[in-house]
Amino acid sequence: MISLQHVSARAGRFELTDVSFDVPQGTYGIVIGPAGAGKTTLLETIAGVARATAGRILLGGEDMTAEPPERRRLGIVYQHAYLFPHLTVRQNVEYGAATGDDVDDVSARFGVDALAGRSVESLSGGERQLVAIARALARRPEVLLLDEPFSALDPRTRNVVRRVLRTVYYERRFTVLQVTHDFSEAGLLGDVAIMLDRGRVVQQGDPAEVFRKPASAYIADFLGAENVFAGTAQPIRSEAPDWVAGHADDFAQYAVAFTTGALTFYALGDVVPGPTHAVIRAEEISLSAEPATSSVQNQFRGTIIEIVPAGALSRVTVDVSGTPIVAAVTARSVRELGLRAGAEVVAGFKATAVHLC
Amino acid sequence: MTAVRRSVGTIVVALIASLFLLFIVAPVVGLVSSGGARGLATLASDRELLASLWLTIATATIATVLGMLGGTPIAYLLARRTFRGRAVVAALMDLPLVIPHPVAGIALLLVLGRASPIGAALYQAGLRVAGSSTGIVCAMLFVSAPLYVSAAREAFARVDARYESVARTLGDDAWRAFRRVTLPLSARGLTAAAVVMWARAISEFGAIVILTYNPKVVSVLSYDRFTSYGMSEALPVAAVLVLFALVPLAALRALRAGEPVVSS
Amino acid sequence: MLGILADTLLVYVAASLTRPIQPVLEAFSARTGIVVQRESGASLEHVRKITELHRIPDLLLLADVEVFPQLLVPKYSTWYAEFARNRMVVAYTKRSKHANEINRDNWTEVLRRGDVEVGRTDPDLAPVGYRTLIMLKLAERFYKKPGLAKSLISAASERNIRPNAAELAALLAAGELDYIYDYQSVAESNGFSYIALPDEINLGDARRAREYSTASVRVRGPTRGSETEFKGEPILYGLSVPREAPHPDAAARFLAYLTSPEVINQLRAAHVDMLDHPVVVGTGAPAELR
Repeated sequence: MISLQHVSARAGRFELTDVSFDVPQGTYGIVIGPAGAGKTTLLETIAGVARATAGRILLGGEDMTAEPPERRRLGIVYQHAYLFPHLTVRQNVEYGAATGDDVDDVSARFGVDALAGRSVESLSGGERQLVAIARALARRPEVLLLDEPFSALDPRTRNVVRRVLRTVYYERRFTVLQVTHDFSEAGLLGDVAIMLDRGRVVQQGDPAEVFRKPASAYIADFLGAENVFAGTAQPIRSEAPDWVAGHADDFAQYAVAFTTGALTFYALGDVVPGPTHAVIRAEEISLSAEPATSSVQNQFRGTIIEIVPAGALSRVTVDVSGTPIVAAVTARSVRELGLRAGAEVVAGFKATAVHLC
Repeated sequence: MTAVRRSVGTIVVALIASLFLLFIVAPVVGLVSSGGARGLATLASDRELLASLWLTIATATIATVLGMLGGTPIAYLLARRTFRGRAVVAALMDLPLVIPHPVAGIALLLVLGRASPIGAALYQAGLRVAGSSTGIVCAMLFVSAPLYVSAAREAFARVDARYESVARTLGDDAWRAFRRVTLPLSARGLTAAAVVMWARAISEFGAIVILTYNPKVVSVLSYDRFTSYGMSEALPVAAVLVLFALVPLAALRALRAGEPVVSS
Repeated sequence: MLGILADTLLVYVAASLTRPIQPVLEAFSARTGIVVQRESGASLEHVRKITELHRIPDLLLLADVEVFPQLLVPKYSTWYAEFARNRMVVAYTKRSKHANEINRDNWTEVLRRGDVEVGRTDPDLAPVGYRTLIMLKLAERFYKKPGLAKSLISAASERNIRPNAAELAALLAAGELDYIYDYQSVAESNGFSYIALPDEINLGDARRAREYSTASVRVRGPTRGSETEFKGEPILYGLSVPREAPHPDAAARFLAYLTSPEVINQLRAAHVDMLDHPVVVGTGAPAELR
């Protein structure tokens, strides 16, 4: 586990002030914040590479504040792999490992065993990140720190790397703290979300809560999404509903059924089946009196709970089988559709609007 | 219109570059061609010159090794750590470069001479500084170490500190991370720095001659020959010195050719 | 153009003469407005500058009058003048080992002690160097101790040799050496104590010229592999204005100043043993000197 208690630190121009949060053992923590928030400094302070000027850092229950990095039993993966250029791939992976078996095992899991004798410069970006993660995990750390590890990768590679990492994580259940400036890049919301801005923690807690009830308008803006659902994702290749038939094959490959509470909606994504989150921006939800017959794959009847005008748009919250869905609609549409609290309405959104993470 | 201006600019730059190159090369070529070759032929029989060469190479090498041992930690600290007074330390390290050479020799005499506390202790222990090869090494070390430190600092700075950070998290303590990662990655740069220091040590005159006149290093010998016999006897010595300068130059070229790029 | 040339005077000065002559040069410059450029060094250095580099000065003041007939006359100069005497001494400071013990009678023994650092000038480069050797040979004869010269020379070992008298004096002042063989003028102007050596050996008495000439040394000659022999002679400083001096008028004015009673007294007070009148050898010397 990772526990920070009133930690302050400074590294060059970046500062942390009075940072406190807990990431329970074996859970996945996400640190979100804009550029310059101090996210990398946070990771480096936890790693012991940057010195904390105040507060305590506990890892696995032990006070590690005064310990040097090599004794903290953690691994770090930066945005750029930082593979040692003078060593081969295998030498990189085995750099901190205890046994050759660990190295073989982790190399196989991440698919880098075939690259063993290659030089670092001959690798592609995605290969490098895989090697970097394998290197960190070969040592069997208790904590894994990730500094936007996928942001330098192209989307396809990103998915591959993300998926492998998540699989290994589920198996080994080390504690993860991942830093990102964009939650959609993170690929998942994890178990604990920590919002960092200008070196301070501005909000923390269950990701769904943080997203649904951003502590400030700023956070809300930054996250840019009001509809966050925790649920289960299931690929539905063979049981694809009729709207998938007739589309390109890769479309079919990514069809997913996402169930939250009593609702199931269709989404597109490359997911590991199991618990995940679905995020939908309010702007992508349309309201109508009757179900539309167009390509909107998700349509639900519900009752309006409240309407909050906000400038040119109004935020309309609709109760669909017990799950609230927020739609952003123009004031004009509100008038034209005669929307008011208690009215019945159909909320619809495309499968592509459902963001799984 | 701009195309014309551009080509005029190129011509001017090329002209300046050629003139400057000529300025550097002409005296050397003139030296070697005016009897330097004849002098080289007699080199093998010139015992005094051979002994002087051997002394110069040996002392310069010892000075360079000492400079690397003492200067590498300082260069590393300057490159990696921000501490209060870092700029002062860096400036102090550069001081010997701006002191006129004879003044440097006098300064060393003040600190290491028989009449000083340190010098007296050394003298008691049987280690003479002035008038010995020890004095030569001290003078060479003093004037050329700053070159090593600033070049070595550059070499370390070119290795991203994050490599060390990663190595630390992978279980290395600070020394191991330095040895297994930073050192191999900066090795070429450090070697080039040492070569520069060596070349500077070989060519020193003013500081050395204050501390140690006998035994004579090559620079002192060439001046001595000039003073005693004139130009014609000084030329072979000078030509030999020029050839010696080619050795570090060639080494530097070989090192730079294979420099790896270490950015990520 | 000529007007600008007349305003400069370039002087090459023997190292041992530098300190006493500097105030004279400065006073001359202040009086006449002529800019004086002084270069100090060993006599042979100055000769090489003239013969090899063709950097001709207006005036040469050298520690050894012998250099003129040997290397400079008649090609570079048609005359020279002896203008001051000097003698060899053994100089030391109160920091020197056994300083309170040494005297005229025991100096040869003290200088051979193992814990004493003795320095001398390079005989191949500077007159004071080979004069030291000649003096030691004379001493061997005078004290009737065979082998004395050789053992005293090896006591002043190679590593304590310096290229000129001034550098040697500097090392004594710095405490690096205990005793040096040098000119009396250098010892006095640096404030050193010194042993006044007997006139029979100190090369300072003009009447003993024949005695002195019985001792001689061989040093490196003007070309490699050659040797030159120097016989003992009274130490005389010499000066000359080279043929091709760029500002001969300024040089002549300085010579008039240098030989004025006021300056002669000033230099004597600065421990330069000036002759009452310079003794000119050769032809073409300026009228101011006669």
